[in-house]
Amino acid sequence: MPLVRTERLTKLFGALTAVNAVTLEVEEGSLHSVIGPNGAGKTTFFNLLTGQHTPTSGRIVFDGRDIAGTPPHGIAHLGIARSFQRTSIFPTLSILDNVWLATFARQASWRGLAWRRADRYPELTRRALEVLGEVGLGEKASLPAREISHGEQRQLELAIALAAAPRLLLLDEPAAGLSPDETQKMVALVRKLKGRYTIILIEHKIDVVMTMSDRISVMHFGSVIAEGSPTEIQRNPEVRRAYLGGVVAT
Amino acid sequence: MTKAWLAILAAVVLLPLVVRHAIATEIWIFAIFGLGLNLLMGYTGLLSFGQATFFGSAAYVAGYLLKYYGVNVFLALGIGVVVGAVSAAAVGYLCVQRSGLYFIMLTFALNQMFYFTAYQWTTVTGGEDGMPGIPRPSALGLDIHRPLAYYAAVALLFLLSLWIMKRIVESPLGKILQAIRENELRAEALGYNVPRMKLAAFVVGGAYSGLAGVLYAMLFGIVPLESIGFVFSGNVVFATLIGGSGSLYGPVIGSFVFIWLSESVSTMWARWPLLLGVAFVIVVLFFRGGVVEAWARFWAWRAARRAPAAVRIDAPR
Amino acid sequence: MKTGLLFSQLLNGLATGMLYALMGIGLSIITGVLNIPNFAHGALFALGAYLLYTVIQLVGNFWLALLLAPLGVGLLGILIEYGGIRPLYKAGHDYQLLLTFGLSLIITEGIIIVWSPVGMSQLPPPLLRGGVDLGITFYPKYRLFVMVAATLLVFGAWLFLEKTRYGAIMRAGIEDKEMVALLGIDIHRLFTAAFALGCVLAGIAGALTAPIRGLNPWMGVDMLGIAFVVVALAGLGNLLGSIVAGLLVGLAQSLVALVWPEASVAVIFAVMAAVLLVRPQGLFGIR
Repeated sequence: MPLVRTERLTKLFGALTAVNAVTLEVEEGSLHSVIGPNGAGKTTFFNLLTGQHTPTSGRIVFDGRDIAGTPPHGIAHLGIARSFQRTSIFPTLSILDNVWLATFARQASWRGLAWRRADRYPELTRRALEVLGEVGLGEKASLPAREISHGEQRQLELAIALAAAPRLLLLDEPAAGLSPDETQKMVALVRKLKGRYTIILIEHKIDVVMTMSDRISVMHFGSVIAEGSPTEIQRNPEVRRAYLGGVVAT
Repeated sequence: MTKAWLAILAAVVLLPLVVRHAIATEIWIFAIFGLGLNLLMGYTGLLSFGQATFFGSAAYVAGYLLKYYGVNVFLALGIGVVVGAVSAAAVGYLCVQRSGLYFIMLTFALNQMFYFTAYQWTTVTGGEDGMPGIPRPSALGLDIHRPLAYYAAVALLFLLSLWIMKRIVESPLGKILQAIRENELRAEALGYNVPRMKLAAFVVGGAYSGLAGVLYAMLFGIVPLESIGFVFSGNVVFATLIGGSGSLYGPVIGSFVFIWLSESVSTMWARWPLLLGVAFVIVVLFFRGGVVEAWARFWAWRAARRAPAAVRIDAPR
Repeated sequence: MKTGLLFSQLLNGLATGMLYALMGIGLSIITGVLNIPNFAHGALFALGAYLLYTVIQLVGNFWLALLLAPLGVGLLGILIEYGGIRPLYKAGHDYQLLLTFGLSLIITEGIIIVWSPVGMSQLPPPLLRGGVDLGITFYPKYRLFVMVAATLLVFGAWLFLEKTRYGAIMRAGIEDKEMVALLGIDIHRLFTAAFALGCVLAGIAGALTAPIRGLNPWMGVDMLGIAFVVVALAGLGNLLGSIVAGLLVGLAQSLVALVWPEASVAVIFAVMAAVLLVRPQGLFGIR
């Protein structure tokens, strides 16, 4: 049974069709990549999944329930977490706090919300440090987030999403702006996550996508023009055309 | 951090020896007012230009009850806090749903509404003349008419308010509010209902403003119309700004600076708003971090001078 | 109630409504382009009125004053933007905003010091004194003039924003400053121009108002709150919205004044609160 499924998901901004009848299924524990040229609507698609936009039409079914129209702050509580294409962290807060806030939010009860000292939640602090250790930032937990390098901030970006202990992980270009070395590290990190989480990955670097994905959907001008296993996609002429120019599929 | 508390305790004890008791009392009242605003301004990043709404409303309601119904002083304080909180909930509900720019304009506009209502409702508020004759009933059998006795009571309430605010900013809510200040969208994505959190901060700020309002009314025995006006709202923004909105204790320092400034000027000249305006412009152009940041920078500079041979790591901004 | 009185108040509401719309548009342009609510907008309105008064005292010509006063305010606006707001660009919007707040106090107090703390009156130009018989009622000529003038100015603002290249740049600046900068437009000059334009609109609104309600140093404070109401209801850069909001508020005020004069100002804010309760995004805004 797919963990998440969209049915003809569509989003119009006035006259612009950003996402056009996208139908997608992701099995639990699998890694499904969404690729496509810039402006294909991939991030808008993510925004629909995470409630930043309301769909114009179509359904989003997560774990059997239609979640379209859930506000962004409700999405996290369903077990969906997301990392952003443009690093979106809390710059003056410590790295630990950045992640801690993600773990705190997911607690069933917010006891002591305005009263208990934030450092007196040992279980949450332990989990936060654990996640930081996983992405390789354990040593730097007490630094303000703005003081680490861009590559490390991308790791933090991922850590924040992981800290929410989600079932579905939406990764929007985790390797954006990373050097080849840093990209290698990020790829290794994401590979470690396979199986433990259900992942939808937006990525530009084709080699990354080909080696890791169970399935790939290719978007172009808002529509899905091809879907299949990595080998199938590689051989697909439509995909070649969309990426390499020439006559554009309508 | 304990150093700060020692300094504040010392200030509480020594202040009445240095200035008139009424001024000293006014300083702590204003500090309470500033603590409330700072939760919004410094921690949540919400610039509220209408805190006088809650200060003045609480002063008028509690003052009215004290004057005409002779209520017990603790009840008056409690009512002040509740009026501050409830009016903030009503105003806040309208304001937190819009983004920063609209939020600021709405806090100001709604402040004006309350001001005009107070101005016109002369039968209750006294309009331009204000509401004089606010008594200061005894508390637990202790007479607080004497300035020093009232000072002690207010100082105690200030310390209590400071401690409560410290607990709040060190709690998860404090962190959530800072996260909202830093990156609202991400905070929302994490699962926090941002408007609701902002409203919570607004209500706490209102409660503090309300407490300050009642104490102010009992200090001077009158609720002046200005206490619900926009200049008053500007006063507390200025005090918080000059103290340094980045820290818990900033408003305390700011209150000292502000009261000292306003007292030394108003005895000489009636044009207080002009001085406030000029002070605003100067602080904004040259002293943005306020006294607290200037202080921190001074200490950093001294530390750097003392260890010239040590490797200088880039100081955090 | 006499229909004559009601009709008069309706016309009053339309006249003040258009003035409110004018204030809202000027504020909207500044706030939309510079991203700061201009707290000095009310004081600049007042300054426009006082400059009109002084020019009339000096040269005796209302029409010349009506031209010079807004230009004077616009000039001050350029100075403010260049000398105060621009240096604070890096410090952030909050500080720029606080600067305008400080300036509003300085300007208002400056008016008290330079002119007088006491209110003054200003007669309309001889051409527009007295009233005109509209059948249902006798109505002051000057107020009709203000209604027409304000409407023309609003129309002029619309023409500028919608039909000229500069107006398009300004609208783009409200939408997306990064894009405007990328297109090679000097963003700082855009800011100065927008601020000056907003100031000119405030100044002319003030100048037009002077013969209606007289002058007093705090006329600006009252107006600032109303301008905020119009922008909160209309949304930034929404010209049509500002007109609707301005008229709504102006009519509410003048009609309530018929039955409950004391509440006529507070009702402006009450209307805003009521609309926002039902539509938090304002009359036209998108969530």
